[in-house]
Amino acid sequence: MKLSARIGGVGLAGPGLADWPALSAAIAGAPWAPEPGWQPQPACLPSRAARRLSPTIRLALMAAEQIGPALPAEAAWVFASSVGEGETLNVILEALRAEAPAIQPLRFQNAVHNAAAGQWSIAAGLRGPSTSLAAHDDTAGAALLKALMQLRLERLPVGLVVYDAPMPPPLHEKRPFGLPLAVALALVPEGPEAPGLRLSARLAPAATHPPTPPGTEIGRALAASGNPAAALLPLLELLAAERSGVAALGLQGTQVLALGLEAA
Amino acid sequence: MTPSPETAAAAVPPITATAIATCLGRGAAPHLAAMRSGRSGLAPCDWGGLPIACHIGRVAGIEADPFPGDLAAWDNRATRLALAALEADGITGRIAAARSRWGAARCAVVIGTSTSGVETLERAYRARADGAPLAAGYSLRHHNDHQAVAAFLQRLCGLDGPAYTISTACSSSAKALVDAVQLIEAGLADAVLCGGVDSLCRTSLAGFDALELVSRAPCRPCDAARDGLSIGEGAAFLLVEREGSGPRLAGFGESTDGTSMSTPPEDGAGAHAAMAAALQRAGIAPAAVGYVNLHGTATPANDSAECAAVARLFGAQVPVSSLKGLVGHTLGAAGAVEAVMALIAMEAGLLPGNAGLATPDPEIACAVLAESREAPLSHLLSNAFGFGGNNCALVLAR
Repeated sequence: MKLSARIGGVGLAGPGLADWPALSAAIAGAPWAPEPGWQPQPACLPSRAARRLSPTIRLALMAAEQIGPALPAEAAWVFASSVGEGETLNVILEALRAEAPAIQPLRFQNAVHNAAAGQWSIAAGLRGPSTSLAAHDDTAGAALLKALMQLRLERLPVGLVVYDAPMPPPLHEKRPFGLPLAVALALVPEGPEAPGLRLSARLAPAATHPPTPPGTEIGRALAASGNPAAALLPLLELLAAERSGVAALGLQGTQVLALGLEAA
Repeated sequence: MTPSPETAAAAVPPITATAIATCLGRGAAPHLAAMRSGRSGLAPCDWGGLPIACHIGRVAGIEADPFPGDLAAWDNRATRLALAALEADGITGRIAAARSRWGAARCAVVIGTSTSGVETLERAYRARADGAPLAAGYSLRHHNDHQAVAAFLQRLCGLDGPAYTISTACSSSAKALVDAVQLIEAGLADAVLCGGVDSLCRTSLAGFDALELVSRAPCRPCDAARDGLSIGEGAAFLLVEREGSGPRLAGFGESTDGTSMSTPPEDGAGAHAAMAAALQRAGIAPAAVGYVNLHGTATPANDSAECAAVARLFGAQVPVSSLKGLVGHTLGAAGAVEAVMALIAMEAGLLPGNAGLATPDPEIACAVLAESREAPLSHLLSNAFGFGGNNCALVLAR
């Protein structure tokens, strides 16, 4: 079965990378440096409500809201993060060291891996299917696989949000990410009227299709951060240049997701 | 054209083997016996050292089970639960046969979990001094990483296809079964080991207690006096293959409440949407469903909302029950645990009773089965709902 879609929109959030045009410019060679002290600020929530949410949730929402307008209300959503709510988990685990732990109820319900997906569905008033997944360093590959499968089998446009944020110590040392990064893709079914570049995917042996390294300075910098969302950089480099090409994403086995991008 | 139930079901890849471990025991036999008798596996909490009076569904003996030496890095409570489930009912032989038949690269793994091996991380936090690093020997990747159980199973069973983890709180492993069927239908795999695992952990016990959702007594789903859930642990797996014989996921429906992280709307609108979508996909009318396995957590708000949605879609006649009075709420494992229990019941021609029910809630307009009873069953529906307003309904057919 052929897996394919048009990319109807791209969202992006990271330090010094407030949106997709910012990353596109950096891919094209504009200077970029991670903005010190950067905090994700989604526009879809009042700032007081946003402050009650973890930086990870705010990061994911900031990317999601950029592709929201490219998708109908009934779209399916796929949220993907390797570590999920690390900051919230750390607060809970510290509290659990006490003999009689006191955990804030709101914090607990926002500790689930799908906290970002849930908060996005509330902010955007969504009622359709929503999935949250993880696959260690191959989270982006699994996410794109699921999103394209959902689009093909359910015949629904899919909003995909791949994100991870650095965890606080002592978790950080065990899985360090140099910076937060969220990438969102609006994937819409192919059709004569469908906008955007055409993305296709199939499984291929990892032995013959090694994961593609990024080819630009910012691509390499983001990949070097260790953030699993940066695995999408080779695809984003092609998208930014509106160039045809291929990329491969790992899937935690001997297969990779072999992607092809076709410019019009 | 709406397909007939037979053709719709026949086009779906079959579930060729199942496995389960909960506080009721390991394998189908103790689960069938408990569903028949109504004997609960819940017991006063003797785990975790927290000052929380409650009942839990603890899987006995996993701490002392042997663990494969070459995979010792993955040794935690969640992977031990997985091993406990895999030891019964011959599933490892079926997995090995699927691997030889389809090839390892065509065998995928999709696991639903909410907390993975976080129980080991909890102990690592407690073992360290204030502000100190975690012990050098603690490996995040092998324990609390969401992918840890899927990665362990991949290695244990030699499955080289795509492997990932669904984590949508308490609907996680119902959705893992959806992904298994999708992977085969999309041609990305020929066999998928799917299911769910969640262990007892202090995070879940203290967290649900903080939300004032934990009952001091064994949970009483649908009872007028229900006052919260009992936390359980468990693992359940389903092997889905491109060809073979067995029951099938005839339909599924997924929806989002979009209103609250932890409380469903009073009319259960999201639950209704998921169930209606599952029936539509299965190509069957509500009357074709002979039993509804409620998510039925035993919190006042959840059972009311879910039953309102069930009554609106199916009418008040369809037999319903919650299995959580038997095994507790196994959280991310609940979708798979209860789907497997429902399949065991369907195979045996049993409608399982709603353990813990003493005084039916007059506000609940559903035919809650106080006791189990014999009845042939061709289609059942099983619900799993999670935090984030994440809903999944499965239609399972013989």
